[in-house]
Amino acid sequence: MPIEDVILTTDNCRYCLMCRHVCPVGLITAKETLTPHGWGLTIASVRRGLLEWDPNTVDVLYSCADCGTCRAHCVTDQPLPEAIAAARAEVASSDLAPSAVTEVHAALQEWGNPYEEKAPSPVEGQGDVALFVGDDAQYLWPTALEAALKLLKAVGVEPVLIGVGRNNGYLASSLGYPETAQRLAQATLDDLSASGANRVLVLTPGDFFTFSQLYDERLGVEWPQDVALQEVVTFLAEQLEAGALKLELSKDETPYAYVDPTHSVSVTTRYDAPRKLLAAMLPTPGRELFWRRERAHPCGNTALQYTNHHIATHLNYSRLDDALKAGARMIVIEDPGCLAQLSRHAEMFRVEVRGLYELLADHLK
Amino acid sequence: MAHSGKFYSEMIRSELEEIVGRSFVSVDENDKLVYSTDWSWMPQMWLDRGQRLTTPDYIVHPGSTEEVSEIVKVANNYRIPVVPFGGGSGTQGGALPVYGGILVDTKRLDKIIEIDEKSLTVTAQAGINGTQLEWALNEKGLTFPHYQASTHCATLGGNLAPRGSGTISTKYGKAEDMVLSMEVVLPNGDIIRTPSVPKHAAGPDYFHLFLGAEGTFGIITEATMQVDYLPEVRLLRGLLFDDLSNALEAGRRMMTRRLDPLVIRLYDPKSTASRVKKILGYEFDGAYMVLGFDGDEDLATLQEQKAMDICEELNARDLGREPGEAWWEKRYDFYYPPQNLKLPWMYGTTETVTTYDKIENVYYGVKKAVEEGYADWDVRWIGHFSHWFHWGVTLYSRFIIEEPPEDAEEALQLHNRVWNTAMTAVLENGGMLNDHHGVGLKLARYMSRQYGAAWPFLLTLKKAIDPNGIMNPGKVGFGF
Repeated sequence: MPIEDVILTTDNCRYCLMCRHVCPVGLITAKETLTPHGWGLTIASVRRGLLEWDPNTVDVLYSCADCGTCRAHCVTDQPLPEAIAAARAEVASSDLAPSAVTEVHAALQEWGNPYEEKAPSPVEGQGDVALFVGDDAQYLWPTALEAALKLLKAVGVEPVLIGVGRNNGYLASSLGYPETAQRLAQATLDDLSASGANRVLVLTPGDFFTFSQLYDERLGVEWPQDVALQEVVTFLAEQLEAGALKLELSKDETPYAYVDPTHSVSVTTRYDAPRKLLAAMLPTPGRELFWRRERAHPCGNTALQYTNHHIATHLNYSRLDDALKAGARMIVIEDPGCLAQLSRHAEMFRVEVRGLYELLADHLK
Repeated sequence: MAHSGKFYSEMIRSELEEIVGRSFVSVDENDKLVYSTDWSWMPQMWLDRGQRLTTPDYIVHPGSTEEVSEIVKVANNYRIPVVPFGGGSGTQGGALPVYGGILVDTKRLDKIIEIDEKSLTVTAQAGINGTQLEWALNEKGLTFPHYQASTHCATLGGNLAPRGSGTISTKYGKAEDMVLSMEVVLPNGDIIRTPSVPKHAAGPDYFHLFLGAEGTFGIITEATMQVDYLPEVRLLRGLLFDDLSNALEAGRRMMTRRLDPLVIRLYDPKSTASRVKKILGYEFDGAYMVLGFDGDEDLATLQEQKAMDICEELNARDLGREPGEAWWEKRYDFYYPPQNLKLPWMYGTTETVTTYDKIENVYYGVKKAVEEGYADWDVRWIGHFSHWFHWGVTLYSRFIIEEPPEDAEEALQLHNRVWNTAMTAVLENGGMLNDHHGVGLKLARYMSRQYGAAWPFLLTLKKAIDPNGIMNPGKVGFGF
C-alpha cells in the first residue's frame, strides 16, 4: 500500500471504534492506545506533528498483531493492517525500528527465515500440484509437514515441495520491510514456476491469506491467475466427502476443541472443513472456543512474537484459557507456527496440543 | 490543579502504582493523547487541526472494584480530578479529562460474574464490552436487548452512566430500565451495592442517582441487568408516508394502544433522501419508516397486523419486508467510515425527547432556528424519530456544515453557536436537552436552564456526595 494512502485509512480509523470488540491486543491489554482506533490516531497524530516516532510511539506501532481481525469485521473494509504495515515501513526506513525487528529482518534477508542459518532448499522435480512448505513447518513443527504429505499420498497426491524453509514474505511485510517481503514473494513465485504446478496447496490459512491477498495488496506482487490455491485442510475435507480419504474412528473421548489458526478471519470459507475432518475421526462432538470462526483470535505466532513478546505470550495464554473454559482438555490445530507457540504453554493450562495433520495421519485407514 | 511539579506528581504516581501495579499506570505521551479524546466532534476536530488537548496526568487501569476505591481515595487526598473512561464512545465529551487528573480506564473490569437463567439476569463488571457480553449471552439463547450503535465499543458502565438507549429500546426500554442493581464506588472511596431489585417500597430511590450522573456521583463498577430470550421471530418492514405528521400520528397510535413494537424508526424527508439513500440504497420521496415486532410468532404477527391497519388509515404505503430487513441488517453501517459523519465536516446530534403534544413544535422549531440561523454556512438539518414511548418520542436530529472554518477556534465557536441555537429552540418548545447521549461537557452549560428551580437541589446533592468535587469535573453542569 503506498504510504500516501496510509493517510486516508488512518484518518478513517482514528476516531472509529466499530471494530474494538474483536481486536485481540485491545482485549488482552485493555488499553485504548493498543486498539485499531489507538493505532490509527497514533499514526495520524505523528503526521500532524502532535507526536513523533520515538521508542514509546514505535513500541505502540509494533504492538499490533497484524492479524487482520479488525479489517475482517469492518463493514467498509478499511485496510488498517496495511496502513500499519506502511507506517512501520516508514519507521524502519528511518532506522527507528526496534533492534529485535532489525535482527529478524537481517535473518530474513540473509536466510529467508528467522530460525536457522540455512538457505531455502531448491525445488526438486515438477508436477501439477505443489505444496508450499514455508519456514514454520520446516523448522518449528516438521511433523505437520510429514503428516500432511502422508495424507495427500493416501488420496493420490504427491506434490512438489516449494518454498522449503523460506518465509512466505508476510513476516517481512509485517515488520515494515516491503522490499524484503517482495523478494521473498518473488522467490516463492520462482519456485512455483520451476515446479510447473498449476495448483498450490498450503498448510495454513495464513499462507492462503498471504498468497491470495497480501501479495497483491501490500507488495504489488500478483499471484498467477492460472494457478489455483487451496488449503490442505479444505482439500482433505473434500476428499473425505468424496470417499477418497478414509479415517478410522478413534476411541479417545478426551474433550477437544479445534482452534482456528491465525488469519482464519480472513478466509471465511474454511471454518467447516477442519471440523468435519475431526468429527469423522473423534467420537465426541468438539467444543467451541468463544473466539472462534469469524472472530478467531490469533495465536502468538505473528510478528508480535518478535516485537512484543509479552503480548504474544498472553495471546497464547488467552487461546489456551478459552479452550479450558470451553471444557476442552485437548486442542487441535494445523498451523505449525501456532502449534509451536501453544505447545510452549500448554502444560500450564493442563491442555494437550495436537496437530490436526498428525492426528488425521494417525487415523488413516 | 491540586498538584504541580515533578516531585509531587511522581509521589502520586508511585501511590497509584502501589494500587494497580506499575504496568497499569501510564504517563506516556502517546497514551495521554489517545485518552484525551472521545467520540465527540470537539476534541476530534481540535486534534485534526493539529491542536493539543488537555490530557490526563495519569491513566490507570484498575483490575478490581477495590482498586477503583483506592484510586478514588488517593484522588480525594490530593484533590485530583477522577475521570472514568469506559469505551470512550460518548458523543458529549463526558470522558474528556478537561482538568487533567486521573483517568480511570475501566476495561480491565470485563468479567461476567453470573448469568441467572431463571431470573433472566446477567451480572457483569462495568468495563465489559457490549458485543462481547451479547455473544456470551447468545451462547445460552439469551440477549441483552440494548443494541445501541456503540455496542462494539461501549462498556456496560458506559451504557448506564449517560442513560443510554439502543435500537430496540422502544420495546425493551433504555439501559436504565434494564438495570436491577449496581455496585458503585462513591467519591469518598466507599463501595456500595444498591438493592437487589429496582422496584420496591423500601425507602427513597437513590439508585437512580447514578444513572445520568456520568461519573460525577461515583464510578459504576458492576451491574446486574435484565436479559431476554432471543426472539422466536423478528418481523420488519418498510413504509412510506407522504406526510410527516401522519407518520408521527401513526407512531403515537401504535404506542398509546400498546401494540409493543420492537422498533419504529421514522426518517423525515431530508433524512430519507440523504441517509437512507446513502446507506441502504433506496430512493424514496417522503418520510420513510421502519417498523418491527418480535417475540412469539403469533403475537408478533397480530401486533404487526394491527399496526399496519393504523398505518393504512394514515395513508402509508407498504414497501414490504425487504427495506425493513435491509435496515435491520445494516443498522450499524451508518457508523463506519466513510459512511458516518466525519471530519472535516462539522456536525452535531441535537437529539431531544418530549411528549406527543409538543413533538412537532420541537421538530419545526429547531429545524427553523438552525436552518435559518446558519443558512450562510449551507447548514443541513436532518432528523428522524428513533425511540418511542407511551407518552412521547425522541427526535434524533443532526446539523451538518460541510465547510466549517479551517481555524480550530473559529470552528469551535461556530459549533457552540449552533448548539446554543438548537438547544434554545429545544427548551423553548418544551423538549429535554437530551434523550440518550447524556450531557457530558457539551450540554453542561444548559443544565440550569433545563432544571430551573430544581437545579440548586441537584447542586446540593452533588456537594453532599462529592464534597471535594473530584468526580469528573466540568461535566453535567456541575463545574469544578
